[in-house]
Amino acid sequence: MPRIHPLVRDLYKRALIVGKDYPHPEGLDYVRRKWKDALRNPQNCQLVEGGTSSPEMEKEYERILRKAVGKGRYVIREMEGTIQLKKYRTMRRHYGEGV
Amino acid sequence: MRILVPVKRVIDYAIKIRVDPTKGAQGVQLANVKMSMNPFCEIAVEEAIRLKEAGGKAKMKDTEVVAVSIGPKQCSETIRTALAMGADRGIHIETKGDVRGDYIDMQPWGIANLLKGVVEKEDGVDLVILGKQSIDSDCGQTGPLLAGFLNAPQATFAAKVDRDDDGSFTVERETDAGTETIKLNPTSSPAVITCDLRLNTPRYPTMPNIMKAKKKPVQTISLEDMVKELGLNLDDVLAPKNEVVEVYEPPPRKEGEMVESVEELLGKLKEKRLVA
Repeated sequence: MPRIHPLVRDLYKRALIVGKDYPHPEGLDYVRRKWKDALRNPQNCQLVEGGTSSPEMEKEYERILRKAVGKGRYVIREMEGTIQLKKYRTMRRHYGEGV
Repeated sequence: MRILVPVKRVIDYAIKIRVDPTKGAQGVQLANVKMSMNPFCEIAVEEAIRLKEAGGKAKMKDTEVVAVSIGPKQCSETIRTALAMGADRGIHIETKGDVRGDYIDMQPWGIANLLKGVVEKEDGVDLVILGKQSIDSDCGQTGPLLAGFLNAPQATFAAKVDRDDDGSFTVERETDAGTETIKLNPTSSPAVITCDLRLNTPRYPTMPNIMKAKKKPVQTISLEDMVKELGLNLDDVLAPKNEVVEVYEPPPRKEGEMVESVEELLGKLKEKRLVA
């Protein structure tokens, strides 16, 4: 059973919470599919060779993983921005462009 | 400072409304559609939290933002969203059984009466801030009715709200003729402000805040108990002042015609007498 880092699990949960409101015709299914592919893609978190042999390597792994999680959280902030923008534009179209 | 924010649970803005013509006035389909907080109510909650944060970290503890909602038990989710955005506590007036949360059963007159009762029960409310209208009924009446009941100073369609040091509010209103600036001086009653679209961009509730919101207190009181406590008549509150006669979908847009050239376009316009 492959181990999942708690930070990565937290990241995925955050993505699903935001994904519920994501403006895509497929909705949450699209978000889930894209996020699962992205999280499984080794290119998104390039761990160096050497394994967790020494404490220094473990620290290095942790550092690389946290950087990747940081990128993931950035993507979530962008998703929130898309949701806010779509909502604002739709409401503006429905309720008049105003002054 | 205590700020009261009434919020409404409505069909999500992105959903295409379906009407079942056999159901007559109750025709709008509510079952299994996504419901969320009215976008104008989100703007009101955001403004309340900004007013709370405007005093700086030191004064934040002095301001309390209370979210109020009237509707079936799923309204508690809407209140939790408001709490996740930063409100401090919630009040849920729960309607039972077949009573819908929308215009068929709960109309602005009844809502404004209940909100007036909430304001009087909660001592020391300085401001009631709400959305200008809800996207399902589009009445835009609750704010002004509430201000009338409370004898309160009001400013509708607010595009900017500032709190001054003496406790009054300076509000810029968006009107068709331009922007109007009004100063509201709440003395014996709270100020009432309704929010327009351009007031702010509501924050998205992040997961840590959603977790924190689960611990914030929400007081649930049934509609019957609330009405008894306020000394109102349940029929007065629930009986619709306006009767919905018919609900129907707009006729579908007719397909457009494709034209090959400018001459053809001009010809067709002349045919339809749109161009001399």
